[in-house]
Amino acid sequence: MKFLKLIFKNVRRNLLRSALTAAGTMVLVFVVTLVLSILSFLDQATSEKAQNLKTIVTERWQIPSRMPFAYAQSLAEGAPRDPGDVRVPAADSMTWQFYGGTLDPKNRTPENNLFAIAMEPEKLMTMMDDLDSLEPDKAAAFSQVVAKLKANKQGLVLGKERLRQIQKKVGERIKIFSVNYRDIDLEFEIVGLFPDGRYDSSAAFNRQYLNDALDTYPATHGGKPHPMMKGTLNLVWLRVPDRDAFQKVRTQVESSPLYSNPAVKCETAASGISTFMEAYRDLIFGMRYLLSPAIIVVLCLVIANAIGISVRERRTELAVLKVLGFSPWQLMILVLGEALLLGGGTSLLSALGTQFVINDLMGGLKFPIAFFSTFMVSTDAVVWGIAFSTGAAFLGSILPALSARNVKVSEVFSKVA
Amino acid sequence: MSSPIVRVIDVHKYFQRGSERVEVLKGLTLDVPQGEFLALMGPSGSGKTTLLNLIAGLDRPSEGEVWVGPECISALSETRLAAWRTRSVGFVFQFYHLIPVLTAYENVELPLLLLPLSAAQRRQQVLTALDLVGLSDRLTHRPGQLSGGQQQRVGIARAIVTDPTLIVADEPTGDLDSRSAQEILALLVELRESLNKTIIMVTHDPRAAARAHRTQHLDKGVLVDAPSMSHDFE
Repeated sequence: MKFLKLIFKNVRRNLLRSALTAAGTMVLVFVVTLVLSILSFLDQATSEKAQNLKTIVTERWQIPSRMPFAYAQSLAEGAPRDPGDVRVPAADSMTWQFYGGTLDPKNRTPENNLFAIAMEPEKLMTMMDDLDSLEPDKAAAFSQVVAKLKANKQGLVLGKERLRQIQKKVGERIKIFSVNYRDIDLEFEIVGLFPDGRYDSSAAFNRQYLNDALDTYPATHGGKPHPMMKGTLNLVWLRVPDRDAFQKVRTQVESSPLYSNPAVKCETAASGISTFMEAYRDLIFGMRYLLSPAIIVVLCLVIANAIGISVRERRTELAVLKVLGFSPWQLMILVLGEALLLGGGTSLLSALGTQFVINDLMGGLKFPIAFFSTFMVSTDAVVWGIAFSTGAAFLGSILPALSARNVKVSEVFSKVA
Repeated sequence: MSSPIVRVIDVHKYFQRGSERVEVLKGLTLDVPQGEFLALMGPSGSGKTTLLNLIAGLDRPSEGEVWVGPECISALSETRLAAWRTRSVGFVFQFYHLIPVLTAYENVELPLLLLPLSAAQRRQQVLTALDLVGLSDRLTHRPGQLSGGQQQRVGIARAIVTDPTLIVADEPTGDLDSRSAQEILALLVELRESLNKTIIMVTHDPRAAARAHRTQHLDKGVLVDAPSMSHDFE
């Protein structure tokens, strides 16, 4: 503690160099914190849980999965056949039907394309990640949106980013000219928004609206069913209490004679996401094993350069300190202390600043990977960002600190004289 | 005469210069009594500073022993030698070597940071040392805001603040004008008299050496004249 003032004053000695080093450190910590946030989020999404597992049921052999809607009811229960089978409660299942199209068929742009999930509205707040654990005030506000979606079959809920892209407001009506359900163009009323964050680019509506339109299709098309009718159910989510229950449900579903054409498969949500993320494997590998270590190495070099120059400039001073009685270890601690103050202090500021700016001011980082569009800076990433950069500062300053430790008084003063 | 506080016994010091071994001190023996003000003179390269460094525990002899008080400092480990220096030796440099980012007060306080003293005790000792050198009114000045003479006074205050047995000074007036040099020498004499410090000073200046009790001349690593007592030190 007695040396803190000395360390602090040494850092302030060359303000420009310290400021530039701090700025470089802050930029690198900013990047590493963002990268760690994304990696930690993906790790979390793809790590298997032991309890409350989400099971995804999809068509076994085809991507995208397309199953008959007739599968929905029995799949939603976990396909129990015998008295001892696991029966999934109604509240713990959810069906997904993807409906997509454009707001302007004459001028199709990414901005006016809109894909939405047709689902049971009440499942939004019980089955969807994050929406099932909203803070009370946000939950209360969103439950009103869900109620509107249930009451108004034509209701549509959007993420704020999606709403911004299509340049509409809540309360306005839109018509989607379907791309995947040809000739089924649906009109919607935007009844509300998803809570900020993960679903900023999402859209959802009442599945009843799509299914009613499919049911009435033959009446206007010479009695022929819609060509998509055989496969309007894209996936089913089931929540099961533990791995045992998952294995049982999986066996029930995959061995059921009800789902033979097409056959279906069961996997955990984490496994499903992992499979989906395979397409991004190289990108994630690069972020984890190339970008992050490269940033840490550059940080080491930045700190090593600044502290190395500082030690070289102060060899006489370090020799004086030795003359005054500072031991070699104490000199080393002084130099390491400067590096840790500079590297650790600025990385603390940078990581916390990054979290504040990204989470509180920007509402998340827009970085679309797979179906994740927005990432928040997690506390884990902040802690690891600070730890990595402080470690890098420590590593980067070891050589200069050893050099300070080994200053030979007689050599320094023979040169001075 | 007092018993020797510093005993240099048959000391040799070699340096390796490329493939050549240079012998800087050649079997040098020297006793310095407690309370003596000794001046070491000699041409450049004669070994004065090397001898001073050995006595101050900044370097080790290649052969021979250096005793200061009861300690054979040539046998101490580097860490113990550092601790010994803090308590036992005050070093005054030709070019002051104050830390430029610290105030006069903080520069003088530096050696005390290594001792188990409270902040109040440190403050008391720093103020006393700065008062002794006449710089009580310059506590918050940085070295750049002080004249050469004042900087050397701060250097002397830093050397005496731990109340060491021995003060070693390497050309303490070498970078000063003659008036400041005389003031610094007068201060050293006064400190010796009032605090009974043993002072060993390397100098090229005969006028500075004249203020010492005794002057020893070195040439090519050996003492060239017999030890002589001068002035009033007996």
